[in-house]
Amino acid sequence: MTRYNRNTIVAGIVIAVVIGGVLSYFASEDPDGLEKTQGDLGATQPAHKGLDAPPVAFNEYSLKWLGEGFWSHAAAGVIGSLVVMGLLLGLGRVLRRARQTSSGGQGSAGSGS
Amino acid sequence: MHIASGFLSPPAWGAMAAVSGAAIAGSLALAGRRLDDRKVPLMGVMGAFVFAAQMVNFPILAGTSGHLGGGLLLGVLLGAPLGIIVMASILVVQALVFQDGGVEALGANIFVMGVLPCLLGAAARRLWARPKPGMVAYIVTLVSGVAAVLAGATVVVLLLWWSGSLPGKVGLAEALGVMDFIHLFIGIVEGLVSVAVVRFVLGVRREAVLGVAPVGEGARA
Repeated sequence: MTRYNRNTIVAGIVIAVVIGGVLSYFASEDPDGLEKTQGDLGATQPAHKGLDAPPVAFNEYSLKWLGEGFWSHAAAGVIGSLVVMGLLLGLGRVLRRARQTSSGGQGSAGSGS
Repeated sequence: MHIASGFLSPPAWGAMAAVSGAAIAGSLALAGRRLDDRKVPLMGVMGAFVFAAQMVNFPILAGTSGHLGGGLLLGVLLGAPLGIIVMASILVVQALVFQDGGVEALGANIFVMGVLPCLLGAAARRLWARPKPGMVAYIVTLVSGVAAVLAGATVVVLLLWWSGSLPGKVGLAEALGVMDFIHLFIGIVEGLVSVAVVRFVLGVRREAVLGVAPVGEGARA
């Protein structure tokens, strides 16, 4: 991996920790724009059969085993950000490789990581 | 602005799933050509940033908060196909891991926070690709931020209305008024944050954002 790309990824980890882990703890607890609108209009009761993912490891933005509080919230924020980053790095590599194969490796000579 | 589970009727979420599914399929087909070595890490970092930033609700009016959408800045920095892929990934993780947004509403949420703002952002992208992006780029991006959030808020209300999820006594115009008034303020923040983030990222990662290739390689944006 080039130094340029390594620095980019380090920046991602710092963002995950600082914003997802720390800053998000101080977020406003008030309902967001949609929740507030639904509340004002009296439209808070689901009228249809919905589908919620089961809370396997996280209860919303708290890690289940840590209960509530700063560390639980911080863990959820950091893990969530890093999961998204990991998912996209993997997907990006697959998509890039697919292009190299389909175009006979043109256009990215010398781009080996 | 995540629609929770149980608020959309099957026709409404089905239609939105079809639209967003098509947009994602098209984005995946186009993505390979736009990905170079430095864009993959940029995609990952921008995904982490938008996920994290969405957790930081800021107070907006009395008793109301807003959070960044992020689709607009992804559209500017990555273009529409990659931006849509990043936003869809974020919303899928939010829905499946953190119960944020209904699983059946994923198509609708991807359209509102991904497809729509990413397309608007991509339109503003060429202004930022100029050697010295000036006031025009800032203003267009700011206005696009407001427009993207208001358009998304309007689609959400229309979907709730179509799904019969607004009480009978509430008129569509009234619902749109309440939703769009709040989101006007959220949209202004979205626009300002987008301008600041785009400026910053262009400052430190211009080559990766614009696909400027090193000497000897064919450039591709």
